[in-house]
Amino acid sequence: MIAMSRSLLLRAGLRYLLHHRWQLALALIGIAMGVAVVLAVDLANAAAKASFALSSQQLRGAATHRIGGTTDPVPDTIYRELFTTPGHPPMAPVILTPVRIDGHEGRLRLLGLDLFAEGAFREQLPGLIQGEAPVADWLAQPDAAALSRSAAALLGVTVGDALTLQGANSTYSLKVFAINDDDNLASQDLIVVDIATAQAATDMQGRLSHIDLILEDAAAIAWVETRLPASLNLIDIAEQTNDTAGLSAAFELNLTAMSLLALLVGVFLIFNAISFSIVQRRCLLGRLRAVGVRADELFRWVMAEALILALVGGLVGTVLGYWLGQMLTQIVAATVSELYYQVSADAMQLSWQSLGKAWLLGLAGTLAAAWFPARQAARTPPLTTLSRTALEDRTRALIPRLALLGIGLLIIGLIVALYLPGGVLTGFAGLFMLLLGAALITPAFLRLAHGLFTRLPLKGLWRLAIRDLDRHLSRLSTAAAALMIALAASVGIAVMVESMRGAVSDWLQGLLRADLYIVADNNLSNDATLPPEVVQQAPLLKQVSTHSSYRSRKLQIDGRRTRLIAGELAATSRAGFEFTARGADDPWSAFDRGAILISEPLAYRLGLTPGDMLSLPTPNGAHDFTVAAVFRDFASEHGRLFITASAYRHHWQDPAIDTLALFTTPDSVAKLMTSAREHFSGQHELLFTAADEVYTESMAVFERTFRITEVLRLLSIAVAFIGILSALMALQLERRKEHAILRALGLTGKQVSQLIVIESATMGLLAALLAVPTGLAMAWVLTAAIQVRAFGWSMPFDVSAWPLFATIAIGLIAALSASLYPAWRAGRQAPASQMRED
Amino acid sequence: MCSASSAVSSSMRRLLILSVLLFLAGCEAPPPDTVTFSPIGVDEGMGGQPDPGFERAIDVREFRFPQDHGPHPRFATEWWYFTGNLRDDDGRRFGYQFTLFRVGLTPGDPAPDSDWRAHQISMGHLALSDIDMARHMSEERFSRAAAGLAGAKAAPFRVWLGPWSTSGTNGTTFPITVDAETERFGIRLQLERGSKPPVLQGERGLSRKSAEPGNASYYYSHTRLPTRGRVRIGDKRYTVEGNSWFDREWSSSALAADQAGWDWFALQLEDGRDLMFYQMRDKQGRAQHFSKGVLVGMDGKAQALTLDQVTLTPRREWTSPDGTGYPLEWQLRVPEHGLDLNVSAAFDEQEMRHTVRYWEGAVEISGSHRGVGYLELSGYAD
Repeated sequence: MIAMSRSLLLRAGLRYLLHHRWQLALALIGIAMGVAVVLAVDLANAAAKASFALSSQQLRGAATHRIGGTTDPVPDTIYRELFTTPGHPPMAPVILTPVRIDGHEGRLRLLGLDLFAEGAFREQLPGLIQGEAPVADWLAQPDAAALSRSAAALLGVTVGDALTLQGANSTYSLKVFAINDDDNLASQDLIVVDIATAQAATDMQGRLSHIDLILEDAAAIAWVETRLPASLNLIDIAEQTNDTAGLSAAFELNLTAMSLLALLVGVFLIFNAISFSIVQRRCLLGRLRAVGVRADELFRWVMAEALILALVGGLVGTVLGYWLGQMLTQIVAATVSELYYQVSADAMQLSWQSLGKAWLLGLAGTLAAAWFPARQAARTPPLTTLSRTALEDRTRALIPRLALLGIGLLIIGLIVALYLPGGVLTGFAGLFMLLLGAALITPAFLRLAHGLFTRLPLKGLWRLAIRDLDRHLSRLSTAAAALMIALAASVGIAVMVESMRGAVSDWLQGLLRADLYIVADNNLSNDATLPPEVVQQAPLLKQVSTHSSYRSRKLQIDGRRTRLIAGELAATSRAGFEFTARGADDPWSAFDRGAILISEPLAYRLGLTPGDMLSLPTPNGAHDFTVAAVFRDFASEHGRLFITASAYRHHWQDPAIDTLALFTTPDSVAKLMTSAREHFSGQHELLFTAADEVYTESMAVFERTFRITEVLRLLSIAVAFIGILSALMALQLERRKEHAILRALGLTGKQVSQLIVIESATMGLLAALLAVPTGLAMAWVLTAAIQVRAFGWSMPFDVSAWPLFATIAIGLIAALSASLYPAWRAGRQAPASQMRED
Repeated sequence: MCSASSAVSSSMRRLLILSVLLFLAGCEAPPPDTVTFSPIGVDEGMGGQPDPGFERAIDVREFRFPQDHGPHPRFATEWWYFTGNLRDDDGRRFGYQFTLFRVGLTPGDPAPDSDWRAHQISMGHLALSDIDMARHMSEERFSRAAAGLAGAKAAPFRVWLGPWSTSGTNGTTFPITVDAETERFGIRLQLERGSKPPVLQGERGLSRKSAEPGNASYYYSHTRLPTRGRVRIGDKRYTVEGNSWFDREWSSSALAADQAGWDWFALQLEDGRDLMFYQMRDKQGRAQHFSKGVLVGMDGKAQALTLDQVTLTPRREWTSPDGTGYPLEWQLRVPEHGLDLNVSAAFDEQEMRHTVRYWEGAVEISGSHRGVGYLELSGYAD
């Protein structure tokens, strides 16, 4: 009996699937899309990270430790002192700094090395020089630069060509000395020069970016530590956190969020496809039960079929995901190249981790999706299984319970995201629960809507359509939930980006109060300062009403690369600060007495509130400063601090100024710009910038950062779109017999087509309507919880109508497009042929 | 050293090119403390002729001290070359070689835009022979001669390459301190002036290496500098005493096309006399007439030796682990000075396997006179 039932089941299943090729295909598409989108996002994400990790690993070579490299440049005298001391470990001086090249859009990195020190370090770093290039020239020619083949291709240069390093008002000419065939990641954006050339080109005479060391044991570490002055730190490269990674955490968070979103959409697509394919077959299952197939056999059979579907769908999804991943990686690579450093899309590698994650998701999602329908089908007595009403009854009975569970999840999700301690992951966990909760509420929402619609005085086809909505609840719910989730996520992200854009824009406008900024050209130099005569004379230009001056330096606090800014601030500049926390005292009077202002991210990270003390490393050792207030700041996720110029000079003994902010009357801005340019023309390396230029440029950077978000958001909508399309199409195709009966009852083909369109549109609209509040809740969690957890910055919640309308429109369009083919087909076919149902 | 000038400078030039290539091609990580480049034979180093912008040793010149102890950057190649035989209180014997090479890659001063800009580089060789244990240790270092990493000064006298240095004392050249440490071994020695003045080699210090004018070097030697100090092997330190030999040579020449290498003897006899002789070999292994030497009497008086006054016969060949044969036992006869010396390696394994491959080690002298010395054999390795 067992053997017989097995072959019977096999044949029944096979025949069913073959006779319902549409359903089979759509189920596979659902699974494949789910797997593909997760895989694609994961691949792009991993490629960006791997590219960075590999590149920095290749770049640092065998070095285990580093002197400097996170804060100020290192004086090269310390290198000489160590190098001439007996027993010194292998060490290499390095200058590594971002540069721009004339005629090239993105940034590249200038790497200055001492050939003689390199032997033990960067053996993997590709070669600079090919053929028998004379080392004498490499050392003696102040313009010799070596490139990898890919860097040369990127810049479109060949040996002998000139490269112009670009500063704002100064340039440095290099000549391509050699191009090496041996390529690797690290070299793709590197211009390698002799250390002397690097110093000259970046005005770093007497200084190095850092010193690489190979320290093999505690004795070697101690050897170096005892010889370092207090102002320099020895850094264990292995212990360096992501803090020093080139990718900004904001960007990484973006990618993570998108990958999670893809995961969620993927799960729903798979769930929808599988549960639908089983729900559809309740008649067949009922018959099988009736002919004596045991419940557990039936259950195993359904699960086995789901497993096969999952495997095949997973395979298709992998291929699809790989292809999609390549496209995504290119977009990610382009964005990263533009914002941070040159990476190549070639970095994408199909890792077992990414594959495993996507496959597991496909498998688990499919089996989970099959579990409940399979159990239902197996448990119900033979006759009831045959009846659709019974199924719909049971679904309806389940709806309130699901809704309750959903509301529960929603509330817990909000609490977890907003209040539970923990990092970004806790925030995402809460967000996940919130979305899942909303998905579980979807069927109840559809019923509710149905209840409302039936009270409307609708006629004819409309009435029929509304009735159908309720009748097919069991099959519609999952599709509607999937669409709702995709749309909600889209709303959530759009509103979050919008809020942030508004906040950043407000903050920039507050910050950029001056009319003209004179900045020491810092493109070719890491630590440029304004010449004293500029500092003296610029405020005396006749258009200037008042001015502020700034001196900025990197400061390592608690392993974070913060920026300390000494400011002599005019009242207008002060008015630009928005304090999110202030002490009992007036922040500005406390500031004038030597207290510091710290940015929100720093306050969040270090748990500081006004009145607390913060210890800062000064050249004379650590010194405690009082925190006067916390200000809103998006300039750095690591944190910024403001201190008065006098306190700064006192503790840091640095009288330099690097930025002047000049104020004038609104009608003299252009004049001021002209006279400042004329007055200082050609004398100094100065950058004259009007506030609106800074504003425009900053906002452009913001847009670029979030461009990838936009792309991924559209991708997730597209995937959901295809998923919904297939789900609705499957539903309508399954109802061919029903439609035929309607035809037989006197409806014209056109009317049946209209019915199908109305039904679909209603469902799309309802899903979109539910997506709006869900998306807003998600946006709230993203801004109030995730952003704070990730960066420590808060922002006002800012909702505009546009993304909400767009969402509703997308929902409608998705649903409408999904109904087109079934509607066309239903209207065209003769009633008799459609009535033959298996 | 000696005629080494030409060969070493040209091979170094070539080696540096190789080194760059090796670095780029991703060779194996060398041991810490040194940069190791692939060894090549001396005769392969013919590729790089020094830049014509360098001055050449053509005319006899006047030597001035202490200025001439310092660098001569208008010449392409220069070295400070110390060798010596030492004993500790228990009679344990040691030999050492310490050389700092200055190699000018480009004539003229470098651009002043960075302290690191270099037209000169520095190569250092350090070797210690633990004669009784037949153990030879050696290390090589490189650096640009800029940014204070390596360099040379006449007054106060100081030549250094990273932590390796030789320097004068209190503003005078002598006594000279030689100080070089590696992880495995090290030397710290003080070299007194002794009783003999510096000896000008060749024609009043102009030492011709081939027929071509300018293929010559300026060359002087301190042949016997009383030495005391300590040597270190691992954690063990030995207080030592003995005599050192200090060669100074600078030039802008290269080996002539038909020259293969040289055999160089620096011998300190127990009777107080010192003998230097080098034999230039052509590619067929024959001694060329540019071979010459000097015999320094107890009083410091020097007498030149030419090839016809000296008979040099190899007696025993030793094959190094990689198959290079070196003649490590010689009969050196100077009949008109009553010398019939048997010069043999204190022990065989004293080959320098670095950027330039050569044999350089302590030797013992028997025969008509007894003594110790140093022997350098170049141009034998492939």
